[in-house]
Amino acid sequence: MESVLTLESIVVQFGGITALAGVDFTLKQGELLGLIGPNGAGKTTLLRTIIGVVRPTQGRVILQERDVTHLGVDERARKGIALTHQIVRPFRSMTVLENVALAAGHHKTGSVFRAFASSSRRSESSRARDLLELTGIAAYANAHPSALPLGALKRLEVARALATDPRILLLDEPLAGLNHIEAQRLADTFRDLNASGITMVLIEHNLGQVARVCPRVVVIDNGKKIGEGATREMLVDPNVVAAYIGKEAVRA
Amino acid sequence: MLYVELALQGLVNGSMYAIVAVGLTLIYGLLRILHVAHAGLFTLGAYVTVVLTNATGSLVLGAAVSMLVVGIAGMVIYRLLYEPLLRQPPYVALIASIGLFICMEEGYRILFGPYGNSFSSAWLTERLSLGPVSMAAADLAMLVGAVVLLAFLTWLMNQTRLGIAWRATVTDAAMARSFGVDTIKVRYGIFFMASVFAAAAGSLVSVLNNLVEPTMGSVPSYKSLAIIVLGGLGNVGGTLLAALMLGVIEAFGTIYTGAYLDRDAIAFIFLIAVLMFRPQGLFGAR
Amino acid sequence: MGTYELSLIAIVSINVLLALSLNIITGLCGQVSLGHAAFFGTGAYVAALLAGSGASIFVSMTAAGVATSLLGLLVGLASLRVRADFLAITTMGVGFVFVGFVRKQNWLGAEMGLSNIPDHGLGEWGFVVLCVTLVCLVALLTAYIKRSWLGFAFVAVADDEDTSRTIGINAAAYKLAAFIIGTFLAGVAGATYAYFTRFLVPGAFGFGVSISILAMVILGGLGSVWGVMFAAIALTLLPEFIRVINDYKIFIYGLLLLLVMRFVPGGLADLVKRWPPLWARVRGRRWKAS
Repeated sequence: MESVLTLESIVVQFGGITALAGVDFTLKQGELLGLIGPNGAGKTTLLRTIIGVVRPTQGRVILQERDVTHLGVDERARKGIALTHQIVRPFRSMTVLENVALAAGHHKTGSVFRAFASSSRRSESSRARDLLELTGIAAYANAHPSALPLGALKRLEVARALATDPRILLLDEPLAGLNHIEAQRLADTFRDLNASGITMVLIEHNLGQVARVCPRVVVIDNGKKIGEGATREMLVDPNVVAAYIGKEAVRA
Repeated sequence: MLYVELALQGLVNGSMYAIVAVGLTLIYGLLRILHVAHAGLFTLGAYVTVVLTNATGSLVLGAAVSMLVVGIAGMVIYRLLYEPLLRQPPYVALIASIGLFICMEEGYRILFGPYGNSFSSAWLTERLSLGPVSMAAADLAMLVGAVVLLAFLTWLMNQTRLGIAWRATVTDAAMARSFGVDTIKVRYGIFFMASVFAAAAGSLVSVLNNLVEPTMGSVPSYKSLAIIVLGGLGNVGGTLLAALMLGVIEAFGTIYTGAYLDRDAIAFIFLIAVLMFRPQGLFGAR
Repeated sequence: MGTYELSLIAIVSINVLLALSLNIITGLCGQVSLGHAAFFGTGAYVAALLAGSGASIFVSMTAAGVATSLLGLLVGLASLRVRADFLAITTMGVGFVFVGFVRKQNWLGAEMGLSNIPDHGLGEWGFVVLCVTLVCLVALLTAYIKRSWLGFAFVAVADDEDTSRTIGINAAAYKLAAFIIGTFLAGVAGATYAYFTRFLVPGAFGFGVSISILAMVILGGLGSVWGVMFAAIALTLLPEFIRVINDYKIFIYGLLLLLVMRFVPGGLADLVKRWPPLWARVRGRRWKAS
């Protein structure tokens, strides 16, 4: 398969702390890649580097053979990368529907002039309604985010990211905080969306769901990639198991 | 010897800015609030000092009571104004604080009249000569007072529970709480100390100029905002340096740019120029 | 209507224009500016200079708007480099630098100001009609922006700039757009003021003026067209009619900022929106009491 996104020896440092120490990473066209590793391994930092919220100290980010390391977040978003936040960040002064409709209007908001010249929100609202339906939060369409339970906010993150018609969707623990049935349903939705052609990276602690929906995983620990390959093999790989157990043992 | 005198003059003004601005930066570090009304407390400190000194004849008593009263006023402002606004976007507290500051200035004008109050017995106006350099005794008092206050501040921040708790809370509030720091107490403590410093600066300036006016807080208020940004918001050492630097730059700037620019605009030209190259401030970390 | 009433309409119009122009920057796009008077002043001085060199009122008004929006663009570019917390201080700085600069410029009349600004040639009534027309146009423009995708994206930028970027919104471009539009309108308001008073002094564009414009926007409710217009009219007229208010005008502006922010950060517009439940609560209490 052809690669859509490549990270070349990415190093990220905050102050004196090294969050990523030379990670290489390839995302193949059309795959649903699991990104796993113990807490604090650098998974979220990796996704944030892909969309550009975090600028790497060293290394390059290559999107479809183009170096995008120096592009801003919004430019990368317009090139088809979308991110759902682990800690939900809805626009709090908009309704749930407006949150998604705004994202669905990305071809209008992509240029200030086009945004000024357009005022109809009809087609974006109907697209937003479909996405709320798909993610199972249509009942909250006209509510404000402050009135939503965490599970619904997590799904709002997903609906809003999908509204930008992404080619690459970065999912940062979208299943956390959902009960078993909800998690199962949302994970199935991801699998369906992936089948429809969206390439995805999924950070998830629930390894059962990862094993169920992700054929391939990348494992990181302490800012380094420690494994990459078929999910079933990786989950029994001694290095990976040691990384998880080591952390758990230290915490216990 | 003009340069030496200018530099001294700059240091005198700079140390006054420093004492006011340090309070602002302590509060900003803790709560992310730009406490503009801080300069209103500075003016309050000056008024209480003059009124009490004239009534009792003792400057020491006047200044001491002023620091206590203003310290308490600072805590009251935190409790009644800022605490309920902590969850709002930052501009809410900022604009409320500007509103409070305007009310305070106008309040002083209504209470004490627009023309200002002076000490009834004039003193400290004689000039001292140290070799070729001459300096007003009041300027010297200001410098000495500033050095004492800033030394006290250094001790406070490094050696006391309050100072250590402040630094811990600024670095990581959740972590500080888990180590048993009472963050609410730290807030009251910081508002008290910052306000005491403002009152002390107000007392010193009232002696320096032998005049207390309703609007005497305006200049330090806006300038100390510029200073804490230059110093790197929440950075105490950077704030002190920036304040002293600004005092000196202003003193020299008045000589060289006086024909094109008001003295009070220099601080902001400096600020805007610095921010263009170092958006995090002169001494701020990214 | 006599000269006094007509001039009152002109003053109210200028203040409404100023409040609406700041409302675009601070209300719609969320960029707190504490130096709006500098833009007002720039427009006024540019118009005065052009009028003095023989330009017609329409030419100098347009030029004042364009020149001011160039300054706005500069300040906007600066705002992109600093954190939100710093922006308020930077814009305040721009205000102080403007006054500090003008005070020392002999070609701008320095402390004594510019006088003998030529008459606009529209007649008393013509000028007032122009003022009111401008207000209507700007109100309509603001209402349109709020409905358009420009306004929609402004809300996102005001709400959470970083997140707006992740859905493809170029927050920097939107902030610049808000600055350019808002400062253009402030420049036009300044030109109107220059023709109205025909006499400019630096003190008329100080920090206090920036604060009173901000007070109108805050009291009316950030982003609300009708709320801001109502607040601007009320805050301009009340001191004219009620002597006591005029004596304590600045105190009242300060108190308004303080109380609105402390108790109803959404301003009058929010209060009106919450009116029905508020009303029900008051009635509920009365019933319980009786």
